[in-house]
Amino acid sequence: MIQHHPGDDLLLPLAAGRLSAGQALVVSTHLEGCAECRARLHELQALGGALLEQVEPAQLEAGAWERTLRRIDRPAADAAPATPARAPHPPLPPGVPWPASLHGCRVSAWRWMGPGMRFARVTVPHDPAAALYLLRIGAGRSVPRHTHGGVELTQVLCGAFDDGRARFGPGDFDAADDSVHHQPAALAGATCVCLAYVGAPMRFDGRIASTIGRWIGM
Amino acid sequence: MLPSREPAAGRAVMLVFGHVAAVPAAAAERRMPTEAEINAWIRAVAETADRPSFAALFRHFAPRIKGYLVRTGTDEALAEELAQETMVALWRRAARFDPARAQLSTWLYTIARNLRIDHHRRRADATAEAPDDWDPEQQPADAHLTPDELLHAAQRERGVLQALAALPPEQAQVLQLAFFEEHPHGRIAEVLGIPLGTVKSRIRLAVTHLRRTMERTRA
Repeated sequence: MIQHHPGDDLLLPLAAGRLSAGQALVVSTHLEGCAECRARLHELQALGGALLEQVEPAQLEAGAWERTLRRIDRPAADAAPATPARAPHPPLPPGVPWPASLHGCRVSAWRWMGPGMRFARVTVPHDPAAALYLLRIGAGRSVPRHTHGGVELTQVLCGAFDDGRARFGPGDFDAADDSVHHQPAALAGATCVCLAYVGAPMRFDGRIASTIGRWIGM
Repeated sequence: MLPSREPAAGRAVMLVFGHVAAVPAAAAERRMPTEAEINAWIRAVAETADRPSFAALFRHFAPRIKGYLVRTGTDEALAEELAQETMVALWRRAARFDPARAQLSTWLYTIARNLRIDHHRRRADATAEAPDDWDPEQQPADAHLTPDELLHAAQRERGVLQALAALPPEQAQVLQLAFFEEHPHGRIAEVLGIPLGTVKSRIRLAVTHLRRTMERTRA
């Protein structure tokens, strides 16, 4: 049962096509597993449809209709869209599906970032600077205490963590910013894997964690 | 030449920045088609590739799609191109549209929006090996709605215009700026004269109010 959802401050820009690629991918991954949020997004897209109906029509160029007719007469180049080649990706725990939203992204192998912790860098082809990561935290392990220079979006793919504010389980979504100072700890019993967008470098309390964070680019 | 026009009749009402204003007679040159007419046209396109119906849809939607894109900051030439591309997509995918599940304006809105996003993505990623990885219809993940979810959503979305008109002007403005502005947060803060840090909560408030109003107008 999903307990934590993205707010309308994220769904509205997603519906409007204004959310940055990295943030949009984390929210989209949540939507894959959350019917409630899909319905909420659809409502906001209907708002886009309503604004489309209400906007002042623009004068089309002369010949627009004829050009469109010529284009529909041409055989569609994309008549049978090829299934995108599945790029190799690091293994997830058994039974955990790879998020469809990440198809097309390049994902590194799992790399060490601390005892019991691994990360994989997710690169968005059209926005390579977007700081998107998969984090794999061993059961009972904690991410060092930190706060955020900007927005941090997290989607739980499997397992669960508790950061003192709440417990986040499979399918849950979290948005944190500089007002949140936390130490996410994976619950005992299962490895926790999250997709995370880090809008600005995280600020770790400890010096070792800071050094590792800088090295990873988080 | 555009396909022949229907006689002008009726008056379209237009929402601009929260004010409800009558469109000048010159702009309201033709009657707004009803939802039933629009659905009959798209069905004819899907089932018999009927060109007059496609022409009617083109006449109604293409100038609005272009107008919408221009309003969102897309330059004129690109807006023209994407509006035509959206209509080509409508022609090719018409069979996938189900009027029981969504309104055509919403469907076209998402296609136009995704084509715009896709255009910027391709421009940003000149080295893209396979642009097909980003199917404009699939991104973002709104394609995952099941038929039941869509049916529920479609019933609700019919009230969205009324709900928007019923909102306090400032809240309607927040929602419109979120769609129209390239940097909505900064612009909302500027227009409303509020600190940037409070924009998110204003957005949440406006959407919550919109949803509640939609529930009420539907009841």
